[in-house]
Amino acid sequence: MPLLELDGVTRKYGALVALDQVAMRVEEGEVRAVIGPNGAGKTTLFNVITGTVRPTAGLIRFAGQPIAGLPSHRICRLGISRTFQITALFPEMSARDNARLAAQARHPRRWQPFGGARIFKEAQTLADAALEQLGLSGIADRPAGLLSHGDQRLLEVAMAMAQQPRVLLLDEPTQGLSVEETEQAVDTLARFLKVSRMTVLLVEHDMEVVFRLAHRITVLHRGAVIADGAPDQVKADSRVQDAYLGGFE
Amino acid sequence: MPERMPGRIKGATRLLIWTVVALALVLAPLGLPPFAMTLLTEAVILGLFAMSLDLMFGFTRLVSFGHAAAYGFGAYACGWMLLHTGMPLLFAVFAAALLTGLMAIGVGWMCTLATGVSFSMLTLAFAQLLYAISFKWTSVTGGSDGLAGIPRTIGPFGLAALSSKTGFYYLALGCLVGGFLVCAALVRSPFGAVLRGIRENEAKTTALGYNTRLYKIAVVAAAYGLGGLAGALYAPFAGFANTELLFWLLSGQVLIMVIVGGAGTLIGPVLGAAFFMLMEHQLSALTEAWALYFGLIFIAFVLFAPQGIWGLATTRLRRAAPRP
Repeated sequence: MPLLELDGVTRKYGALVALDQVAMRVEEGEVRAVIGPNGAGKTTLFNVITGTVRPTAGLIRFAGQPIAGLPSHRICRLGISRTFQITALFPEMSARDNARLAAQARHPRRWQPFGGARIFKEAQTLADAALEQLGLSGIADRPAGLLSHGDQRLLEVAMAMAQQPRVLLLDEPTQGLSVEETEQAVDTLARFLKVSRMTVLLVEHDMEVVFRLAHRITVLHRGAVIADGAPDQVKADSRVQDAYLGGFE
Repeated sequence: MPERMPGRIKGATRLLIWTVVALALVLAPLGLPPFAMTLLTEAVILGLFAMSLDLMFGFTRLVSFGHAAAYGFGAYACGWMLLHTGMPLLFAVFAAALLTGLMAIGVGWMCTLATGVSFSMLTLAFAQLLYAISFKWTSVTGGSDGLAGIPRTIGPFGLAALSSKTGFYYLALGCLVGGFLVCAALVRSPFGAVLRGIRENEAKTTALGYNTRLYKIAVVAAAYGLGGLAGALYAPFAGFANTELLFWLLSGQVLIMVIVGGAGTLIGPVLGAAFFMLMEHQLSALTEAWALYFGLIFIAFVLFAPQGIWGLATTRLRRAAPRP
């Protein structure tokens, strides 16, 4: 059984069809990239999966359970964590506190209105492990707003990981990074993905990043899936080249 | 990026200051003339009111333009119970606070349908609604006359001391200290950490899997409940409850107290309330246009000391304290 399964997922905004009958299966342990030109519906796809946007039609199953239409905080707690295209952090909290608050969201007594030393400690343990995995332990005590852009992107991934998700959704993790920063961030991500064997859905513009990280690629064009397969297959597909790659290599 | 939370004063200096403040407050009735005690009691009640707003304003960035609703509702509820049911003072005060908190669950549910300025406008609209009701529902609220002659009923447990002037001061002081301890525990708890997340980035807090709306409703209920406690103390303190306690002017004044005192610090708003009362008292003796001069002081704080009185004090003390 695939961990995440989409079937006939459609999202319309008036006359605009942002997602058109998208079908997709992501297996456990797979790193799947979703690529496509601007406006192809990649971010809408993420929003629909995480429940921030309701699909107009279609089925989404996570570990066999239908999740389309659930509120986003419920979907998140089932084990789907995401990062955002535009960095979203708590800028005045330290990186450690950012990750701790992320981990706390999965604690059964996350809302306790008094005390809480043990809840904090348990959340901090998960948070510190995630920061370690992404090589952020050294800067964990700095306010998140003062970190370099590259570290902020990685901190977002660490926050998602501190929640021990079953699927990680990464929305353009190298967005806005310089060439060197991108290289460093991708090195860290590649190392981390290899060790953690995390199931990942990745939206990315940078083809080099995609071909380095992804096991399998889904190509979106005007909201519809036009190709789906291993990186080499997709690269060779003539329709993909016409629609998107436009002479890559 | 400026450091938001003023750091805490450490060690011996801190202990010393708190001991002096606690002693001064406890011993105040021995040394102060009756008139000053009346002012001090009112400052304590207003301090509790301002502190309750800080839970929303300072810790969650939920700006209420209608916090007078909590104060006025608490005052009317407590006043009505004391006038018409023969309930003892202590019971009426806490029952009124509880009622205000319960009422606020509805307010919170409604107001959190919106965010930002719309949220603030809804809180204002709700307070104005109560204000209008207090005028029209004459049989319960006494209309424009309000409720007068509210007694401090002693009740069956022999707590006669509480109904005296000094006793009532200690009751108010106890509520302020208790309220502070509850708020301090709340903002340091896991719940408080989520509030901080909402304050800094609500969308992200939701994306992490928190149902932020529930947290906001809960903090509105807590803040109104505590504000209702302050109002419930005011009614038997003054002996009356009138429509002014629900008026938007008071909502504005309590916001000013919080900002001048130092938002997000709990103690700051208490100082802000005392400062506001002191200024009102001193300036109004000199000029009728005291509100104008206080307005200038408020502007000066916003421009030059946005961290408020408490922020100024802690920075100064930390600088003066010997380094460990």
